[in-house]
Amino acid sequence: MKKHHAKKGCASPGKNQVSELLILPDGQILVHNLTPVFAGLLHELNPDDEHISSRVTRHMSPRL
Amino acid sequence: MIRIAQERRSPARREEVGVQSRDVRDCSEGMLKRELQRAGPETGVPRSVLAGERARTARAMLADCRLCAHDCGVNRLAGETGLCHAGAEARFFCAQIEVSDELELIPTFAVALSGCDLRCDFCITGTSSWNPRAGAGFDAPTMAAKARAALQNGARTIMVLGGEPNIHLPVALEFVSLLPETAKLIWKTNAHGSAPARELLEGMFDVWLVDFKFGNDACAQWLAKTPDYVRVVEENLLWADDHSELIVRHLLMPGHVECCWKPVAEWLAENLPGVKVNLRSGFWPAWQAARHTELRRTVSRPESAQAVDLAQRLGLNLVP
Repeated sequence: MKKHHAKKGCASPGKNQVSELLILPDGQILVHNLTPVFAGLLHELNPDDEHISSRVTRHMSPRL
Repeated sequence: MIRIAQERRSPARREEVGVQSRDVRDCSEGMLKRELQRAGPETGVPRSVLAGERARTARAMLADCRLCAHDCGVNRLAGETGLCHAGAEARFFCAQIEVSDELELIPTFAVALSGCDLRCDFCITGTSSWNPRAGAGFDAPTMAAKARAALQNGARTIMVLGGEPNIHLPVALEFVSLLPETAKLIWKTNAHGSAPARELLEGMFDVWLVDFKFGNDACAQWLAKTPDYVRVVEENLLWADDHSELIVRHLLMPGHVECCWKPVAEWLAENLPGVKVNLRSGFWPAWQAARHTELRRTVSRPESAQAVDLAQRLGLNLVP
């Protein structure tokens, strides 16, 4: 899995993939710049979440 | 629950802004729109060729930059900078495949250019969006190679965004000139561009993905330091609807349902009925949002419910 980190924007554009999360006290998770890899991870954590399951791409390599 | 964060017409109004009425909404495919986009003396010229020519025109325009509605008139080629602080060269702060945009557009290869002509205190990308010197230098051939690789790797679309890509129109068009003719291209914009910029964009992008952020000029001035906001955005929306596929986004802001979402929704219902609208409720208090008391929190469930209810009562075409 490619590295995901919390720094705003791509620190080294093109080298790392970046997704950002904000987890709220009520358990909601807000996501920005969701990558396929991170969508897959979130889907594994909660397969019943329709918002994420509709965004999971199963046939895509994380590398360009 | 996981939410993704930010992110028919009135003939009289169209005449006001010089937009010709042309009803192509009912076409089954985007093909006719694409043909209409290329109608006129340039019919038959490949997009890549047009884009290359227009990139050179756009670069020359930097000598008296009026690409956005701020209309600064500075000579960016000579090192002068206007309100966006952008120079003649472009940089980018992110380029990757993403799946957080509209379902019909993902996976998309998203290229985020540094710098913006708005100053939204709640900007989720903050410094990278505001600072045109953030990130790395943008080399169109290199980025086009990455985009082609992304398409081969399963990306459905290529999205150019920012910051605000319109302030970097020359390199955006150069990028387009190097992409396959068949690639579906998305122009994600704040719709604060000028008429000359729009002319260069005609036929270049298949979809305009437009953020309609504020429902009144007072909020736009207070939160984004931008005057005359509503008129400019509405003018761009009407133009975009006539020249490409259009998806309008509105990021719900806490405490701004009545003052911002309601007028935006009502305007869309009256002037662009049937247009795709993505109502996003994933606001989070990023960047300098804490300067504004009401923006120090996320959108509440009642606010989200109220916003969706309004959209449904107005008959808006909400898309995920």
